[in-house]
Amino acid sequence: MTILRNSAALLGAMALMATAASAEIKVGFIGSLSSDTGLSTLRGAEMAIDELNAKGGVLGQQIVLVKADTGEDVTEGVKAYEFLAETEEVDFIISGSIDDVSLGWLPRMQEFQIPTLDTWTSYVGIIDMIVDDYDSMRPYFMNIASDEALATLYIDFGKDVLKEKMGWDSVVILAEDTAFGGAITGLVTEALAPNAGIDVTEIISFDITTNDFAPIFAKAEASGADFIYLVSSVNSQVVSSQYVKLQVPMGMTGVNVAALGHEFWEDTGGAGGGISTLSPVPSLGFALDPVNAEFLAQYQARYDTRPSIPHFNGYNAYHGLKQAMAAAEEAGGFELDAWVPAMEKQDDIFKKDGEMWLRWGWWGNDEIEPRTGRAYPHNIRFDITEPYDEGAPSMVVIQWYEDGTNAVVYPDKFKTGEFVLPSWVKK
Amino acid sequence: MTQIIIQGLLLSGLYALIAMGFTLIFSIGRVLNLAYGAYLLIGGYVYFYFAQMMGMPKLVGVLLAVIVGAAMGLAKYRMIVKPLKGDHVAIEISTLILAIVLQSGVILAFGDSSKILLPIIPGVERLAGATIPYSNLLAAIVSWAILISLYFFVNKTHTGRAMQAVSMDAKGAAISGIDSDRINMITWGISGALGALAGVFFASYTQLTPSMWVAPLIISVAIVIVGGIGSIIGTLIVAHIIGFMEIIVTAMIAPELRGVFTMVLIIGVLVIRPQGLFGREEL
Repeated sequence: MTILRNSAALLGAMALMATAASAEIKVGFIGSLSSDTGLSTLRGAEMAIDELNAKGGVLGQQIVLVKADTGEDVTEGVKAYEFLAETEEVDFIISGSIDDVSLGWLPRMQEFQIPTLDTWTSYVGIIDMIVDDYDSMRPYFMNIASDEALATLYIDFGKDVLKEKMGWDSVVILAEDTAFGGAITGLVTEALAPNAGIDVTEIISFDITTNDFAPIFAKAEASGADFIYLVSSVNSQVVSSQYVKLQVPMGMTGVNVAALGHEFWEDTGGAGGGISTLSPVPSLGFALDPVNAEFLAQYQARYDTRPSIPHFNGYNAYHGLKQAMAAAEEAGGFELDAWVPAMEKQDDIFKKDGEMWLRWGWWGNDEIEPRTGRAYPHNIRFDITEPYDEGAPSMVVIQWYEDGTNAVVYPDKFKTGEFVLPSWVKK
Repeated sequence: MTQIIIQGLLLSGLYALIAMGFTLIFSIGRVLNLAYGAYLLIGGYVYFYFAQMMGMPKLVGVLLAVIVGAAMGLAKYRMIVKPLKGDHVAIEISTLILAIVLQSGVILAFGDSSKILLPIIPGVERLAGATIPYSNLLAAIVSWAILISLYFFVNKTHTGRAMQAVSMDAKGAAISGIDSDRINMITWGISGALGALAGVFFASYTQLTPSMWVAPLIISVAIVIVGGIGSIIGTLIVAHIIGFMEIIVTAMIAPELRGVFTMVLIIGVLVIRPQGLFGREEL
């Protein structure tokens, strides 16, 4: 009997020790540890975790962060997710992955069923997967407006600014030869152009290793179009700087990922004036509400390497991670039956001068967005209709000026500057 | 069409400058210097550091790049090529490894993100609908000036004739009293300087990245294979064939196929005329 009692006591002590050893919440970061994109998410997560830990953590436990580098490579991304799930056994994963990498590890998420938040990927096909297969996709949340929402508001820019203000009737598309380039080209040809009344004269596809754009710009010029629509997510600073250095005599706008970052000016050697791009919010040049302005101030005080200003996904990571932990607090942990409904209820609204400015909330699972006529379960609650009083706009258009400054130029409610042509382009 | 002609001339001039240093080494030392692209890499970054980061005058940046390039060429000859004399495979492997090591060094010093060089002379000229960036025009003029100077140097000076002699028959040249070691040193120094200068123009035309040594190496190898060993004139002509071919393919067929036709040309020349279009055994 004594032996049994001692054995039970020993087992109890071991159980307690095991509990003590795992008495922490493990958050896994998945993304590139060397890109501005990945670092924005990582740092936003770090700041949220430090804030929460300073207040006692979550569920009485401290939060620890584990990092897994994807190197923006699909295979490495899958391995990184498996590492976080199997080796580290994390409770929650926050992702700064690019679209292709997220699509690579998504089947692993469906397999491991770990709560996961994507802060950069905007591929609407993932939202469609949630619509089609909620049970296996329910741990997944995306707190950036998905592609369709980005494109819909961008069509308004096409109508209001490119067509009406600039008087442009035709466009030549310059698109990188990637899945991203193909997808955006499809949106421009099938949605933007017909809706805005702009003809697509030619589509020029280029390899992402291209480093001499002179003949490509010559071809674009020869197309006779009024302006160039650029789609570039890889090494966009090269095409941007050559546009400026060659003083291509046509306006150019589009999706230019390098121009999203504060270091764009430095990266182009100062040859970035006139470049404009669609950007999710909060973007460069975007006026911030007091809470997010404080986040930015804290970020800049803490980090002295690039990106000196986080990309939009840095804000997404900061707010999204806090929401995920608040949901865990409410649900008593990360068990999906309790955590998912608690996460779905999270809604943080930030006002500026009394107006709705930014919002991190979610669309209801069966709720239909009126303009696009479809559901966006587990996607951030955006607003693509003026006066943007139910959520943040899905995107804004930002422009770099020739003096190195930048501003939001569309929509009007958020604009801090005007859309202008570079000085060498005649209207 | 005007655009094609102008861009073709500008690009070809740059290609000729890039390939010349490689041709010199291949002709005289009979060495496939796979670290040749690293001269361009280092030249570009030296210029970037001094002229763009430190704010020194651009001409000083160019001169420093050329000096560092020449020093690299000399050092490479003394420390790698000479000790491995005669073992071509070992030299090729060593120079390739050296290029990779230099690439890592650049990543350590400047990071792996690409950088954009400001034009040496900013601004463009429009001519009959064609755009001529001043910087690219300067590159083409400098390229032509160097090629002409090099042609006269090789053909009209004692050292140049000694280089020709070494390229034809190193042993015979030695018997005639030519110090082939000294000639090789001069050749490697000139090659490094030309490579570094080409690197400044190439980077200001395109971009600076730690992997930028690969593309110029491929261009150089292509020009040497198609043109044949030696011959400054051959290098010049083939640089123009490849330059114009790339511009025409980009403008009239598809930008993604830009480099493909060059590769097809290499295979075709190797099969039909292995000695190259202008194949000669001397400069």
